[in-house]
Amino acid sequence: MSDAVICRDLWKSYRPRRPIGLKSFVVGPRSAAEGDRFVRQWALAGVNFRVAKGQAFGVVGHNGSGKTTLLSVLLGTIRKERGEVDVRGRVASLLELGAGFHGELTGRENVALYGSILGMTLREIRERFDAIVEFSELDRAIDSPLRTYSAGMIVRLGFSIIMHSPADVFLIDEVLAVGDARFQDKCRHHLREFKKRNGTLVIVSHNMAELSEICDEGICLELGEVVEEGPIERVIAGYRARSATPPPVASAARP
Amino acid sequence: MPAFERSPRQFLEFLYLLTRMELKARYRGRFIGYVWAVGTPLALAFVYWIAFKVIMRLDMDNYSVYLVAGIFPWTWLSMGVTGATRGFVANAPLVKEMGVAHAVLPLSNVLQEMAHFVLALPVVIAWVVLAGGYDPSASWLWQIPLMLALQAAFVYPLALACALANAYVRDVEYLLGIAFPLLFFATPMVYSIEMAPEPLGTWFEWNPLHALMQSWRSVFQTGALDPAHMAYAAATAVAAGAIAWLAYRRLAPRVGEVV
Repeated sequence: MSDAVICRDLWKSYRPRRPIGLKSFVVGPRSAAEGDRFVRQWALAGVNFRVAKGQAFGVVGHNGSGKTTLLSVLLGTIRKERGEVDVRGRVASLLELGAGFHGELTGRENVALYGSILGMTLREIRERFDAIVEFSELDRAIDSPLRTYSAGMIVRLGFSIIMHSPADVFLIDEVLAVGDARFQDKCRHHLREFKKRNGTLVIVSHNMAELSEICDEGICLELGEVVEEGPIERVIAGYRARSATPPPVASAARP
Repeated sequence: MPAFERSPRQFLEFLYLLTRMELKARYRGRFIGYVWAVGTPLALAFVYWIAFKVIMRLDMDNYSVYLVAGIFPWTWLSMGVTGATRGFVANAPLVKEMGVAHAVLPLSNVLQEMAHFVLALPVVIAWVVLAGGYDPSASWLWQIPLMLALQAAFVYPLALACALANAYVRDVEYLLGIAFPLLFFATPMVYSIEMAPEPLGTWFEWNPLHALMQSWRSVFQTGALDPAHMAYAAATAVAAGAIAWLAYRRLAPRVGEVV
């Protein structure tokens, strides 16, 4: 069984790269921690894991443990400092659901635009358009401008477009299923079908019940380090155990 | 490692959709959108005409044509660059989602403004012929596309470089807010370069924007190309392209982190 995602000794630093202005040059930053959420140096420290094709891989951890950073590195929007990351196949992410959605444009136009952002050709978009609209349950609202949509409708549309994009690997950040209970069942069913078609999932979530239902293996991150890995039940148990005690402030990890 | 490699075809499709949707979104719900796109620069030219020709008694033949022939290419240039500069910051979620192809956002801005310019061309030509009394020239059919290509090659690297710089140093958009008004008078746009006292006149000759705008005026007012100025503008475009390429290599990889 070949691997879809390989991560080898991944290190990503947290050196603040927040935007600066001339004021900082002239006046100096107001405090050493200005703008920084955390004090530690490494967002990700020596992360190793593999995900086989057709697997669902869960990533759990406290807030700020590096989960979203990890997904961003897998997606390619964030550069790593050292280590290797290999993602085989086309990747679609739910990191920024509806990025590029325009309120003035209709749902139909946004499907075309968002689909193109995700890398779909116009032909692919045309072929899948009806399925996308049907899955999102938007019916005739598809021809209304997006600014008339409720928040739920927007998320359903974004979710639907991504689910229908020709990706081999889905990266999901906390938005596992949206909408009402019935729609959520539909999403879960769709993800299971995706797995059967040898699609790979990497899922960040705080919803342990959902993770244990869909994922096979996973890791638990704490302060950027992998503290648990293996079958998802073991990872979740490890995370729960750590949740009982407050996390340490700084890590001693060195590359 | 990008999320996916866009094929050239998909890249072009993406660029087309981005540009077209952006234009649609801008003008949807605005009944006279096109009129604003053309009318605003025209109105500006009118204000300058009143200020300089009527009130200041500036001495120049066909001053209104001089203004109109210059103000539309200028609008394309300044709106293209300033619009693109905010692009990465204003579309942060989009930048993070795209993986690669950051270069497409500024390109979309430049193309949008070029679309406005092309739509305004009939108005410019009408003005030149009717108000200025110049002869329409068949050579415009190939000169104008050539100038379009030259200006696009000039504007895009600037737009890209400024957009990348602004993602890291947010002051860039404000600096441009000062630079363009300054350049407007240093190009010069509302008087002819001969009127500038030395040493300003010589300095203005070195301004690549002057070469570009003068090339446009040459096409519209004489129906002939201005090879010297065009060559200078082209050389600057190549230099700008090189700078933009370096900036892209250096700055683009981490744009997703800083926006």
